[in-house]
Amino acid sequence: MRERMEQALRLSKADYTEIRIEQREASKVIFRGRDLETADVVIDVGGIVRSLCRDGGWGIATFNSLDDLPERVEQAYRCAKAVHGEPIELAEVPPSQERILVPLVKDFRGISLEAKKRLIESYNEILLSYGDAIQDTTARYTDRFSRVFYANSEGTFIEEERPEVSIALSAVAREGDNVQRGFEGVALVQGFEGVEGQEELAHQAAQRALDLLRAETVVGGRYPVILDQRLAGVFIHEAFGHLSEADFVYANPQAQEMMVLGRRFGGDILTVVDDGSIPGLRGTHKYDDEGTPTGRTELIKNGVLVGRLHSRETAAKMGERPTGNARATSYRYPPIVRMTNTFIEAGETPFEDMLRGIDLGVYACGMFGGQTMLENFSFSAAYAYMIRHGQIAEMVKDVVLSGNLFVTLQNIDAIGDDFRWERLPGGCGKGQGGLPVSTGAPHVRIQDVIIGGR
Amino acid sequence: MDILSKLGGRAEQAEVFFVENEVTKVGFEANVLKSAEVEETRGVALRVMVEGRLGFAASSDMRAEERLIANALDSARYGDALPLHFPRPQPGVPVTTFDEQITGLSIERLVEMGQEMIDLVRAADPDAHVNVNLERGQRRAEVRNTAGAQAVVVQSPLEVMLSVERVRGDDVLILYDFFSTTLWDEDYLQVARQVARKLELARELTTIRSGTMPVLFSPMGSTVLGLPLMLGLDGKNVYRRISPMVGKVGQKLFDAKLTVVDDPTLDGRPGSAPYDDEGVPRRRNVLIENGVVGGFLYDLKTAAQAGVESTGSASRSLFSPPSPSPSNLIFLGGEAGVADILADIQEGLLVDTPLGLGQGNVISGAFANTLGLAYKIEGGEIVGRVKDVSIAGNIYEVLGDIAAVSRESEWVYGGLKLPYILLPALNVVSKL
Repeated sequence: MRERMEQALRLSKADYTEIRIEQREASKVIFRGRDLETADVVIDVGGIVRSLCRDGGWGIATFNSLDDLPERVEQAYRCAKAVHGEPIELAEVPPSQERILVPLVKDFRGISLEAKKRLIESYNEILLSYGDAIQDTTARYTDRFSRVFYANSEGTFIEEERPEVSIALSAVAREGDNVQRGFEGVALVQGFEGVEGQEELAHQAAQRALDLLRAETVVGGRYPVILDQRLAGVFIHEAFGHLSEADFVYANPQAQEMMVLGRRFGGDILTVVDDGSIPGLRGTHKYDDEGTPTGRTELIKNGVLVGRLHSRETAAKMGERPTGNARATSYRYPPIVRMTNTFIEAGETPFEDMLRGIDLGVYACGMFGGQTMLENFSFSAAYAYMIRHGQIAEMVKDVVLSGNLFVTLQNIDAIGDDFRWERLPGGCGKGQGGLPVSTGAPHVRIQDVIIGGR
Repeated sequence: MDILSKLGGRAEQAEVFFVENEVTKVGFEANVLKSAEVEETRGVALRVMVEGRLGFAASSDMRAEERLIANALDSARYGDALPLHFPRPQPGVPVTTFDEQITGLSIERLVEMGQEMIDLVRAADPDAHVNVNLERGQRRAEVRNTAGAQAVVVQSPLEVMLSVERVRGDDVLILYDFFSTTLWDEDYLQVARQVARKLELARELTTIRSGTMPVLFSPMGSTVLGLPLMLGLDGKNVYRRISPMVGKVGQKLFDAKLTVVDDPTLDGRPGSAPYDDEGVPRRRNVLIENGVVGGFLYDLKTAAQAGVESTGSASRSLFSPPSPSPSNLIFLGGEAGVADILADIQEGLLVDTPLGLGQGNVISGAFANTLGLAYKIEGGEIVGRVKDVSIAGNIYEVLGDIAAVSRESEWVYGGLKLPYILLPALNVVSKL
């Protein structure tokens, strides 16, 4: 493969060209209630050529057939020639040659669909064992093994194995018109062993669905809120992470002014980091999809904006250092600036102390998701509890929190000492669909958060 | 492409789904042309029925036919036994989905169109940073099965996604809109005009109190109400008994102003096609009529499970088995003009762009959304944009009492046609 890619690159007439080829095999087994929805294996092979003509722009060709790479290189070049935009430079990155293999304890490619089915069926049985109120379940096992070949015209060649295994368990409980869902899951850069022995997740999902049947909808209003680690991770991804992606600011002077390095966004207790080099996490790769080494990038240090995430193009344009954050969801997409593993660094406040200061508040846990329009964002809890007189009280549901970039981060007044990485399946949907990312955080307390509700 | 005969006698029934797409795209970023792209997609999915059990496999590697067949046969060992029959040859519904004027659009022409859109939006607001992605393509999907059906769908989608970022001091405004068609439309600039109009309406910032008030949903805002309804009408959620509408066909659950149809027979709409993705002829399905539940959407498998007929609503991507999905989901317009509806609101909220759509317990009908773009209505007029506002409710309660549905409606995200919907009283939570 390397020879074919490098041969095709040598024919390119563009100022810069890269080829990325992906071979993927993935299996999934899904139960819905008592029915097996599917147990299948799919094969996905494809590639992308991206060319740059410095005075024009990018030309891109994506394809499934690998038969004629030189023709694909020519197609991408023709596209680039047709673009007459503004000059584009790429920040310098030294060429790398590397083959990155990921050894798996129990390689799922050697495990039969039968064994995968047995495992996920056993978790599904646990969900169903919670009685007639459990109206429906979804138990999903997925694995995928990708081999990604990357080569560019500056001499970089990287071959990387990207394995992932996950389970997602969801129980729907129903009583009349009251329909509630509990879910848990785990996604890991591991072999089959990573999803064995996860019975506890199934118990949690089913019990939560039943508990939510009894929960009242939260009364809308403004509350002091404690986010658990999982929701705090989503919060920082949505509330701040996307703002720190340089593709938002690099071509917009007003946005640069707003996001000027040195500006204060939170109190001294708040430090936020993105780090694509932490071993074993889903957002981790040694190099990004432009061949730039990944690493630790501090975004907020003691409340002050100190860095942002870059591709080679955004780094060159802003005169900053490329951070290894150009990532692509698959061979169908060119890399864009994305987060990797984003986290709030641990603080010093024990959870009990956070509770103590709250007379009436909300303890928001787990996550349904989040979305941002940069200044304003929303994120939703899977379940929550009222806090009354410093104690955790009754469960409440339908808790959706709203935030404002300039207000909400400033309102963080306590950061826990109980940092945790999350390992939920799913990913970040910016632009090109689900990309594996990780979030991490301790418990976080925020004053004066808007919660929608009746 | 002779997989069916290669299978020989190894399966009682089989179906091949073959896709072949060619798409050309251009992208503008922050008002500047940035990229041009060609995309070629080829792939095949195979379903087999062995001893009454259904198996599935797919591949985008056209040289891996033998592995595809082996994977499908292996998959069938685990499938549930189902009384499912792939359809015989039938005539498709007549509908136009292909236009050479679209497939013939050059990169240069797409660039011109994008530039016109940017110029139009920037004329409304010179501070706007406009991103435009235009793509035109030729998509071909073919279903062939051992019952003899051969259903080919060829479409020529033209899609425009336009988004605007405007930063003023610490005020960030993000706007977006979509345009899509499969028949050439001279008025492709409508999407840019729409965005320009929203920019103008959002010029003034104002505040709104918290409390219960009339809330008017624009077509894009109406997705808040449409999404839970769409999930509730999915035959799979009905068969699984998690749709709140299960067992309620013939009952009046909603205000009589609400009528919802799924219509794949409209010329030029991206969701339209003569056949669905299992080779079953598509058809118009009335789902809610004057507030009364009429029926649900089914594909072959869900229909077999539920003991009903497929409604021709199977939809699939290459790498997943089919599932029921709406084609063009339409909330029929009402009688009132939107100007008259507005004029009658003394104090209220106009919801345009929700955040967090689809998050939360959507199937239950619950919605709780922060609003990315919303306006205050005062004395019958839109007086300015409001920020840090959120709304919440449950569609199975609030759609029981609709104050008005507008005559005017718009296509949203390509496949949804929605009017303005006025709810008489909804709880609004505001930071200020």
